[in-house]
Amino acid sequence: MPEKTVREMNRLERRHFSLAARTFHATLLGSAVLGLVTLAVGLGLYTYSLVRQYITESFSLSRNAAAVLDELVDVEPLAGLVMDSYRGLDDAERAQTGTDAYRARFSAITEREDYQTVRRTLSKFGGYGNIDAIYLAMYDEESAAMVYIADPDEDPETAMLPCDWDPVTREGMKTFLDWNGEGMLYEIEHTANYGWLCTSGMPIRGQNGDTVAFVLTDISLDNLVHGMKNFVIQYAAAILITMLLMGYFVTRHMKKKLVEPINQITEAAELYAQDRRAGVKDIDHFGKLNIHTGDEVENLSLVMADMEQELNEHEEAMKTITAEKERVTTELSLATRIQAAMMPQIFPPYPERHEFDIFATMEPAKEVGGDFYDFFLIDEDHLCLVMADVSGKGIPAALFMMASKIILQSCAMLGKSAAEILNKTNEAICSNNQAGMFVTVWLGILEISSGKLTAASAGHEYPALRQAGGGFTLLKDRHGLVIGAMDCTKYKEYELQLEPGAKLFIYTDGVPEATDGEGNMFGRERMLAALNEQAGAAPEQILKNVRGAVDAFVKGAEKFDDLTMLCVEYKG
Amino acid sequence: MLNINKSVEEESICFALEGKLDTNTAPELEKALKEAIPGTKGLTLDFSNLAYISSAGLRVLLSAQKAMAKQGEMKLIHVNETVMDIFEVTGFTGILTIEKQ
Repeated sequence: MPEKTVREMNRLERRHFSLAARTFHATLLGSAVLGLVTLAVGLGLYTYSLVRQYITESFSLSRNAAAVLDELVDVEPLAGLVMDSYRGLDDAERAQTGTDAYRARFSAITEREDYQTVRRTLSKFGGYGNIDAIYLAMYDEESAAMVYIADPDEDPETAMLPCDWDPVTREGMKTFLDWNGEGMLYEIEHTANYGWLCTSGMPIRGQNGDTVAFVLTDISLDNLVHGMKNFVIQYAAAILITMLLMGYFVTRHMKKKLVEPINQITEAAELYAQDRRAGVKDIDHFGKLNIHTGDEVENLSLVMADMEQELNEHEEAMKTITAEKERVTTELSLATRIQAAMMPQIFPPYPERHEFDIFATMEPAKEVGGDFYDFFLIDEDHLCLVMADVSGKGIPAALFMMASKIILQSCAMLGKSAAEILNKTNEAICSNNQAGMFVTVWLGILEISSGKLTAASAGHEYPALRQAGGGFTLLKDRHGLVIGAMDCTKYKEYELQLEPGAKLFIYTDGVPEATDGEGNMFGRERMLAALNEQAGAAPEQILKNVRGAVDAFVKGAEKFDDLTMLCVEYKG
Repeated sequence: MLNINKSVEEESICFALEGKLDTNTAPELEKALKEAIPGTKGLTLDFSNLAYISSAGLRVLLSAQKAMAKQGEMKLIHVNETVMDIFEVTGFTGILTIEKQ
C-alpha cells in the first residue's frame, strides 16, 4: 500500500497506484507465475516422453540385434576369448587401452570368422536415427570395466577394438548383470567421455544359461538437453508475449469498464460539490452520467443520480421550510410587540396623579406569553389592578390571554364590583371554551380617595402586602376557582384598608416557581426576602430587586415560565 | 420528566405519576387519560411521587374531572403539600376529590 493518501498524491503517483496500473501489474505477475509453472510441467513431460521414446527405441534395437546374433553366430567362444584375454592383463597393461601397442596383442581376434560376422551384423543395425553406437561388450565385475568384444564403428578415431575397455560404475554394472528379464534394461549416466548417455542392453546367454555378453546401444542425450534449451527459450518468449498482450488487453478492458466510469463518477461528484457551494439549483451531474457497464459501477452511478435528485428535492424543501420559519419568526416578533402593547408600558402612567405610584413588567418565556398585568382608571377615584396567568404557554396561551384581558376590562369598565367582574368574565369564557383553557386572575379595585381596596381572586397566587413602615407579608386571601373551569363559579370579594405608604405586590407563579439548573424552585420565602431587601423603596426598585434575586437564583438555567410582576404604592 | 404507571382493576384505572406535571409533560398525561377514560367508572390518580404541577397540568386534571363527572368518579390520592398548596391557591380543592397524603 502507498504511504500517502490519494489526496496527497500528485498526478504521476495517482497513475502509478491507479486501478489500471495495479491490474496491469497483477496480470503480469499472474501470467508469469502461470507461465513458469506450465514451463516446468511442460519441460518435465517433454523430457520424460522423449527419454522414454529413446529408451524404447534403443532397447528394442538391442533386443533385435541380440536375437539375430544368436541365430547367426555362437557368441560364447568369442566372448570367452576376449574376456579371458582381458583378465590375463595386469593393471599397468590394462591402462594402455586404446593404444596401438595394446591393441596389437589382440589382433588375432579380429581375424576370427565369428568376430567378422558379429561386426557385420551389428553394423546393419546401427548408424541411423538417434543411435550413436551399437556394440557387443561384457562387464568385468572385478575391475568394474566394460570390455568391448566387437564394435562395428568404421571411424578409426572412435572405433573400439576387442579388449578395449571403459570404466563403469558398479551400480550401473550391477543393473545389467542382475537383470531379471522384466521391462527394459537401460541406464542413464553422465559420462566424462560421451556426456549424458542412455545405454540399453540385451544379454546373450551361453550354453549353461550364463550371460556371456551384452548387445549394448548408446543414445546420447546431449541432443535432448540441447532441444530442451531451445524449448525453454521459445516457451519463455511465448509466455512473455502472452503476458504483455494479456496485461494490455485486461488493463484496457478494466480501464473501459471500471477506471473510466469511476473517474466519471468522481468528476461528477467534484462538479456537484462545486455547484452546491456556488448555490446552483437543480444540479444534474450524476443524472447525466452515461455509464452502461451493467455491473456494480453502473448501479453506483444510478444510486448517485437518485441521491442527487433527492438532495435537490431536499434542498427545495429546506428552502420552503426556512422561508416558512422566517415567516413564523416575523409573525411571532410582531405578535410579541402587539401583546406588549396591550399592557400599559409607559411609567409613570399617570404623571398627574400623585396619590399612587405603580410599576409593572412582563417577560414571556417564549415569544408570546400567557401572563398579563393590567391597570386602568375606572373613574377618577377608582383604579383597577389586574394580574392574570393563563394555563400553558406560547401562542395558545397568548390568544386566550388577549380574550381574557379584553373581557375583564370591558366588565370592569361597566362599574361592577371585583367579584362581579370575575363572575361575568368566567361566564363569558366558559360559554366558549373549547380548548379547556383557564386563567387565574387577581383583580382589585382601589378607591383612591379612601385607600379602600376591594379584591377577588380566581385561583391566583397570594398577593404580598406591606403596610406603611412594615415588611412585605403574604396575604392569604379568599380563593375562588380559576376562570374558565366551571361556568357556575361564584367569586367572593374581600376588602383591605391601605394606609398611605402601603405597597401591594402581585405576580404570577413564574416568580416563586422560577427554577435553577438542579430543579430547585425560587419559592415564596426567597421572594419575600427580595421584597424586603428594600421594602421602603419605590415600586420600580422593588421589582428590580425581585428580578435580580430570581436571576441570581436560576443562574444560567433556561427560563421556563413567564415572569410578570406589578407593584403599587398607595401614597394617600 | 414524568413517568406514568397505569394499573387497571375491573372498571377502575389508577395512574401513578412520578416527576413533574408541567407544560412539557402534561400532553403525555392528557394522551394517556384520553385513551383510558372512555368506559371507566373510577379514575384514581396517585400523586405520591408527583413533585410539582403547573397550570398546564391543572388543565389536564380539569378536563379529566369534567369527563369523569359524567360517567363516574375521579379522585386524587396521596397529594403532597406542594401540590396541595397549588390546588388551594387555584381553587381546585373546590372541584376535585382529594385525599391528602
